[in-house]
Amino acid sequence: MTPIARWALGAALTLAQAGMVLADPPPLPPYQMRAPAPPGDRLAPGRDGKALFENHCGYCHLTFGMGTNLLVKQRLAVGASPASALLANRDDLTAGYVRAIVRMGKGAMPPQTRVDVTDAELASIATWLGRGK
Amino acid sequence: MKLVLPPRLGPRAFDTALSAFAGVVGKDWVLSSDADRDAYADIYAPGPAEQWPASAAVAPASVKEVQAIVRLANEHKVPLWPVSRGKNLGYGTAAPRMAGSVVLDLGRMNRIIDIDPKLAYCVLEPGVSFFDLHEAIARENLPLWLSVPGNAWGSVLGNAFEHGIGYTPYGLHARNLCGFEVVLPDGDLVRTGMGAMTGNHAWHLHPLSYGPTFDLAFTQSSLGVVTRAGLWLQPAPAASLELVFDIPHEDDIGWVIDTIAPLKISGTIDQNVFIPSWLGKMVLKGQRRDFWDKPGAIPDWRVKELLAQYKLGYWQVALRLYGEDSVIRAKADIVRAAMARNLAAPPAEHWWHSGDERNAIDTTMGVPSAVPLQMSDWVGGRGAHMGFSPVVPATSEHVMGQLKRSRAIIAAHDVDFYASFTIGGRFATNINMLMFDRDQPEQIANMKSLFNALIGETAKAGYGEYRTHLGWMDTVMDTYDFNGHALRRLNERIKDALDPNGVLSPGKQGVWPAAWRDQAKEGRA
Repeated sequence: MTPIARWALGAALTLAQAGMVLADPPPLPPYQMRAPAPPGDRLAPGRDGKALFENHCGYCHLTFGMGTNLLVKQRLAVGASPASALLANRDDLTAGYVRAIVRMGKGAMPPQTRVDVTDAELASIATWLGRGK
Repeated sequence: MKLVLPPRLGPRAFDTALSAFAGVVGKDWVLSSDADRDAYADIYAPGPAEQWPASAAVAPASVKEVQAIVRLANEHKVPLWPVSRGKNLGYGTAAPRMAGSVVLDLGRMNRIIDIDPKLAYCVLEPGVSFFDLHEAIARENLPLWLSVPGNAWGSVLGNAFEHGIGYTPYGLHARNLCGFEVVLPDGDLVRTGMGAMTGNHAWHLHPLSYGPTFDLAFTQSSLGVVTRAGLWLQPAPAASLELVFDIPHEDDIGWVIDTIAPLKISGTIDQNVFIPSWLGKMVLKGQRRDFWDKPGAIPDWRVKELLAQYKLGYWQVALRLYGEDSVIRAKADIVRAAMARNLAAPPAEHWWHSGDERNAIDTTMGVPSAVPLQMSDWVGGRGAHMGFSPVVPATSEHVMGQLKRSRAIIAAHDVDFYASFTIGGRFATNINMLMFDRDQPEQIANMKSLFNALIGETAKAGYGEYRTHLGWMDTVMDTYDFNGHALRRLNERIKDALDPNGVLSPGKQGVWPAAWRDQAKEGRA
């Protein structure tokens, strides 16, 4: 099991199973650095989608981020693996879905402004998260 | 979101103003679609976000662009609402107090201008996030720590400008600010403190001006757009020790305050000590329906069961000491002995030494995280929260009085009680988190009635809030009533002198410029 998957499983046990007292909860992971914003014009297409994802979405969607933690519960509820709470591990996202959620919000996630993420940056991120579809 | 124009501005004049803004920043950085307006709405609004609608946003990239936009705002009579990163969650997010204002989004101005490890300070633009600064320090392996708020998604400077607090020795964030650059409401540019002298080397080191010191007049303020500021940082300590005390009963908060506050005032403890009630831990374990399946507040008998099941005290003091190992050991002996006067159980102790990892959510070690926002998920649905945040003297008499008063009002409204007291020295900041589902109108109506009752009763007892949501900015300003609301009158006189067209943040903190004073009755929750 990768460290991230092992952590996600621990988080799932901590976060998802009410009524179960854990004698020794797993230690929290260290802070995970985001990739720096890739160079270049924020309005230009074709910048590195993975780096943009980490830089702009990493506030909540890296290991033990707020979004990851909430998604652990949602993924378990639909019978998916807790590791799939990390968006980078998902194999069922589409670019269109990513664009819609980023601009419209979902649950506790607010819509992101075009200063938070420009349309060109969102296109790169959506393509990367929806890769292979 | 539907388009609401600024008061007294017609559609043609509004379009002309936006075109003029686009001439400065480029058309891609004037954001005026329906989706843009939605994105600048208050996602945690108590009620429809349409109550505090922005008409558009404009995002400058430099001081010169800010100056140009402010001058155009005067020319076209367009009110601006500056935000640093617009993540003031629980207090209005990026949304403006006055309907139709144009958000001046400074998120693109995100340069870290300087970090000085020797004198432990940095110089930032308002768009720099806590994550950005933390990572810039980590990449250079500099011996500096941040002080972060519960929600660290936002701007370092923006949080300090709104008087946000953290849980380290540098936790009173506005006190770490030193030396501003400010665009005034007429577009003029001023530097405060020693920076008033061209090329002065002590701009961000000496916190006072020659003559009156204006820095803090630009915080929670509508008197200027701060485009850069100095910020003092904590030197990374050689070691740190966390002492975790579970405090069993509600009323124990009295002796806890009387024990810790003197140690904080004397300097034995230098951290802002955060003391949350039990719900602060439970929100990370699940949603309320996992623990209680009825709509009203969780009854006391069930709370007792949960505390026993999860081995939680009613309060928890996770106190942290910083510095050289030997100094920490000496201080810890003093703290343990002081707490042992009322508490038999010894604390859990966690050492950290330079070179060890810091975990992803340790706010007491300056690690930025948005995880505390998970509490919004407690009620389910489109969860949201508001903070009721009065300040009280740090003694048992005042803290217990505040606790009993707010507890009774919150119980009368059948809402879960989640309070914290943060001992900042001679005062304690009492934050009551009120969580609600934005799609349940009856919850929202109840929340508004609760909030009004809390403000009114707390003021009657002699305490005020340090910060509030857009919808109550005027209500809270009304509580500062000495000598016929002399503070508001002073604010208005200064505002009108500096900003005759009222272009900057009309209504911010209940201060209305003459130009828009007729709008003050609108947008109250």
